[in-house]
Amino acid sequence: MKNFESLFAAWMVVWAVFFVYEVSVARRLAKLRDDINRLKQQMREG
Amino acid sequence: MKGRVTFALIASALMVFGGYAALYIAPDEKTMHAIQRIFYFHVPNGICSFIAFFIVFIANFAYLATRRPKWDWLGVAGAEVGVACSTIVLITGPIWAHPVWGIWWTWDARLTSTFVLWLLYTAYLLLRGFLDDPQRKAMFSAVFGIFAFLDVPLVYFSNRLWRTQHPQPVILGGANSGLDPTMGKVLLLCWVAVACIMAIAIADRYRLERLRYEYEELRFEVESRGTDARTQVEERR
Amino acid sequence: MTTARAAAILLSKELRLEFRTRELLTTTIVFALVVVVLFSFAFEPTTAESRRYGPGLLWIAFLFAGSLMLNPSFAREQSNDTLDALRMAPISPFAILLGKMLANFIFLAIAEAILVPVFGVLYNVSFVAVAGRLIFVLALGTLGLVVTGTVFSSISAHARMRELLLPLLLLPILTPLLIASVEATARLLTDPPELDRTWVAFLAGFDIVFMTASWLLSDYLVEE
Repeated sequence: MKNFESLFAAWMVVWAVFFVYEVSVARRLAKLRDDINRLKQQMREG
Repeated sequence: MKGRVTFALIASALMVFGGYAALYIAPDEKTMHAIQRIFYFHVPNGICSFIAFFIVFIANFAYLATRRPKWDWLGVAGAEVGVACSTIVLITGPIWAHPVWGIWWTWDARLTSTFVLWLLYTAYLLLRGFLDDPQRKAMFSAVFGIFAFLDVPLVYFSNRLWRTQHPQPVILGGANSGLDPTMGKVLLLCWVAVACIMAIAIADRYRLERLRYEYEELRFEVESRGTDARTQVEERR
Repeated sequence: MTTARAAAILLSKELRLEFRTRELLTTTIVFALVVVVLFSFAFEPTTAESRRYGPGLLWIAFLFAGSLMLNPSFAREQSNDTLDALRMAPISPFAILLGKMLANFIFLAIAEAILVPVFGVLYNVSFVAVAGRLIFVLALGTLGLVVTGTVFSSISAHARMRELLLPLLLLPILTPLLIASVEATARLLTDPPELDRTWVAFLAGFDIVFMTASWLLSDYLVEE
């Protein structure tokens, strides 16, 4: 196929953008969940 | 939880199948051949960015009407995902244009308008970054969001009017004039796939914002309890 | 007290305040002049080129000068908490905004009244034949700038990095206004000059849309 590299580059861009975004959201979610659990623990003790 | 995983699996399957269809099922375009297949990712992301920004508008309106924080969460989720979709459009566009026309960019009506759209909602996200108080952040970004959405038709219309007065090489004219039915079906499939991904991204981002809000409330409560405990200790002394 | 009367009183307060020191006006005019002069260094235009690019340059100068001028206008209220006092007064929130908008309009109009002739002299472009129509186009464009600019300056007044934030918010929103104003102004410099009805109608539409939006959302902008 002609220009296959450009097509592949575009496909990679689509995946990369969404992947990076989802990963950043997922990491922040996990961190927040940890913080919330820590706080709940603090509340139970205090 | 189960539903979310199932939906994510369906969305991934659709994306894989959409990619396959875009590469192998869709017929070859007569002048541009392989590179034209970018169209199957480029156009769905364009449509989804509009959907996302419309969601932002609804969320902004609802926040101002009800002052419930959940609308603010939806607003920021829609805006971030919309900017991600627009970014894809703005990157895949030049990748498509360069092999075909030898130029990366031209200031024609549609490209310019898409760029301004990207700028508007990036400004929305930056505004939120610079406002510290959460209530002010929600309210002012809602007002700005409404202004931005009202501006969108004006942007598109003024660019169209301007560029038809000074004609430019029409880049996307070929792809839209009379779409082959198989191409149309593949485009629809790819659009459904991207729309599912978009929905997942918005839902996740919304959840993140909701958790952040709960965290702040919890933290406030822990801190105020700490203050109460300290006051009690001092009183006993 | 009606909105119009309240706005008029606030306007006269703004004007009196500004004309005491004239610092905002002078800095705005000088800044716009600098942009106009820089154009000659950056491009070295011939007379024909000045006619072609002049409208664009003028409107960019007004946009930048306007963006810089709008922030101090709101920031003034914050140092003495006068905004709280205004909020407690028995006037509609829109009156506060409207007073500011009119004041900003007058300041920018004065700057433009000085800049356009200076530009004409420096680049050998004559506006005399189209003076009336030019004033009309300038007024419509400036109105759109000032309406959106005042709203966004009331937002950015509460934010960090407000000097950078205001142009960031304002300029993307104003791209349609820029296109319309430049095209309408450029049409006045063609041979024979004419008032482009399409772009003028567009400008009027832009102004109406955002003036209405400001009025409907004024409660949220001025509260707390």
